[in-house]
Amino acid sequence: MIRLIATLFLRAAVVLAGAALATFALLWHAPGDPALAIALARYDAVVPSEVVDLVRTNAGLDAGFWKAFQAWIGPLLVGDFGKSAVTGRDVWPELLSAMSYTVPLALAGLLIGVSLSVPLALLATRHPGGWLDRCAVGVATIGAAIPAYWLGLLLILLFAVHLGWLPAMGARTPAHIILPALTLGLGVAASLTRILRSGILEARGQPFLPAFRRRGVAGRYIERDHVAPHAAIPVVTVFGLELALLLEGAVMVEVIFARPGLGSFLVNAIEARDFPKVQAVVILAALLFVSVNLLIDLIYRTLDPRIGEHDA
Amino acid sequence: MRSVIILALILVTVALIGPMLAPHDPAQIDIPNRLSAPGAEWVLGTDALGRDILSRLLHGARWSLGLAFLISIIGLIVGTLMGLVAALGGKLADWVVMRTTDTFLAFPDLVAAVVIAGVLGAGTGSLIFALTVTGWMRYARVARGIGLSLKTRGYVVQARLAGLSPLAIARWHYLPSLLPSLTVVWTGMFARAILGISALGFLGFGVQPPMPEWGTMLLDARIHMRSTPLQMIWPGLAVVTCVLAINLAGDALRDALAEQEHHA
Amino acid sequence: MLSVDRVSVRRGANMVLEDVSLSLAPSRTLAVVGESGAGKSTVINAVLGLVPCASGQITWNNAPVGLSRPALVMQEPRGAFNPRMSLRLSVMEPVTARGRAIDQSRLDRLCNGLEIAPDVLDRRPTEVSIGQAQRAGILRALIAAPPLVLFDEPLSALDAVTQKHTARLIAQMQLEEGFAALIVTHDLGYAAAFADDIAVLRAGRIEEVTASKAFVEAPQSNYGQILRDAAFALGALERVA
Repeated sequence: MIRLIATLFLRAAVVLAGAALATFALLWHAPGDPALAIALARYDAVVPSEVVDLVRTNAGLDAGFWKAFQAWIGPLLVGDFGKSAVTGRDVWPELLSAMSYTVPLALAGLLIGVSLSVPLALLATRHPGGWLDRCAVGVATIGAAIPAYWLGLLLILLFAVHLGWLPAMGARTPAHIILPALTLGLGVAASLTRILRSGILEARGQPFLPAFRRRGVAGRYIERDHVAPHAAIPVVTVFGLELALLLEGAVMVEVIFARPGLGSFLVNAIEARDFPKVQAVVILAALLFVSVNLLIDLIYRTLDPRIGEHDA
Repeated sequence: MRSVIILALILVTVALIGPMLAPHDPAQIDIPNRLSAPGAEWVLGTDALGRDILSRLLHGARWSLGLAFLISIIGLIVGTLMGLVAALGGKLADWVVMRTTDTFLAFPDLVAAVVIAGVLGAGTGSLIFALTVTGWMRYARVARGIGLSLKTRGYVVQARLAGLSPLAIARWHYLPSLLPSLTVVWTGMFARAILGISALGFLGFGVQPPMPEWGTMLLDARIHMRSTPLQMIWPGLAVVTCVLAINLAGDALRDALAEQEHHA
Repeated sequence: MLSVDRVSVRRGANMVLEDVSLSLAPSRTLAVVGESGAGKSTVINAVLGLVPCASGQITWNNAPVGLSRPALVMQEPRGAFNPRMSLRLSVMEPVTARGRAIDQSRLDRLCNGLEIAPDVLDRRPTEVSIGQAQRAGILRALIAAPPLVLFDEPLSALDAVTQKHTARLIAQMQLEEGFAALIVTHDLGYAAAFADDIAVLRAGRIEEVTASKAFVEAPQSNYGQILRDAAFALGALERVA
């Protein structure tokens, strides 16, 4: 077991290193002169070439790929995300304040998603194939096809423009989180309902359950001791997927609702060609993603004893 | 299988014939008639520059569906090759390919696509690159999984003993067995590409104006949400309809395959 | 001739085969018997090079055994054929893979000998009986005229009548073609009736190698005795002999 955990950790480390390298390589090979872009962004005027050269040296852009990569990855390993190419200020505080908007949004979205999908899946699977089940599947299928940006616009149209009940743009009051969170949550609910439903149905179809019933084990004990853990396995594995959905959704939703946060931070950084900021967001997302998937892998193996060490 | 073929035919037909059915030139600017309501002349109304929305939607199908098809097929080819190399190429090749796959999976894929398209500069080329680079991994995983399970299958062992070359084994014994599952993955990736193209378009990193693309149209329509809310409905509806149709066909195909496996 | 010289095979920390030595002359038949899990299939996999030997070597006429292109008849006849192809395509694989042309008269002669009707080869593996599929499997093994053919429980998927029939066909083909046969089986009756020699395998080790007539009368090892008596008790030894 210890060996397995070590293997999984090592693999996560390799993947993160690869991700860092891929990110850096992409930005390094980006078209255009980054030094000129930075100079333009910083001074907002026609800049003489000496200034551009100065910027280039200061930003370490003339050092060659591996030197520059080392100069970036070294401090990163001790948690230093570097300085913004445009403002020259540390990236980390800005990143932190962006996250302070995104994390509550993602959590609220997750909460809405879970509290919609769990009861819906339980109701639907009570009579598989019944009208309620078919409705739930239908709604979830349609929901999964609706992109977050369109759903967000429709919600704005209905609740903010048409009814005028809720604020839409920005993040001034706590009420501003409702529409974005709803947008995220509905998307999560759609995919989670489908997965939960098929997980529960599969768990109920296990070959040994009829034997328990014949022996007179009460239905609720069967549900609690045998169906629930089995249904939890697919749910745990898709949690990584849900996280991706939340992160991606957050990026889109923040742009639609003009909310500050990681999404707006990223899009603004890309448009300003402020690469240290872009790198910071991407690496942070990869770190989060890889750690969650590592955790899922570990939980998965404890939940399902059939997965042996050889499947590592 | 049949449902997928029919669906593919319908979508291809729409993408090919759609522009011919367009009643107006999608790029024809007509300022006096801007933002007009749906009516006899403009079935779905006109946009902020007076262009006919229906015509733009029909022409947009070529961008959204055509590019999505291209992207999902490139991903299919690249991913399948990677998966087969991992399954057939020995332990080292397997390790390298799978860690590469994990690395590309380490980013939430739309976020990665936004970064790639944004950094490379807006345009159709970077759009295709961004969505392909982030869209081959699932094929690779499926191809590798099935490839590994086939490796010990009786007929594959026999083919190896017969002295068939690895390429011939891949062609005759692996590809035919992989194709059904890969087609299911493909439907999902086709839908994902449609969503990705319009998402990038909506963020301004995708197909550039004045090309009519559904995501870009949505971006344009957003500004006039208050005066002409209907404008925002149409492109979104087009995306949802396509994605829903593809997802349903994919589900049907998956169920049909499960049925087949069950009886085999 | 086939020579298996002090071969050991490891799986993880376990020894699956330990110090196994066997030899088989051209046109002769050697049966490897033993209970499930004794390592019988591993013997075949080692000879075919499908699993690496931890030590020892396996040769055919003092050259690596792979050069002689040994053929294999599998236990599950249908699984040995690609379900998406006609039997003919699969059967021809050993010939076409080497870029050679198909010798129609040889094919006809083998089909005749194995009692394969002409139309059977144009069907898919799921459209023929298990017996037919197994005869097609033997046909594929023989088509390129290999000097050595391995049989992995060739009868165990078949019903009793087909078993007897198939066993006779294999013996007959061996007379005509002159290949050396290494048969792995748990059916002592079959081994005693058709093999020249019997090797007893137990927990990865060879207990004894005895001429089959002598084995039926007096096995040399205790374990061989137990196996033979069990076969007698079940009536399996008289059944085929």
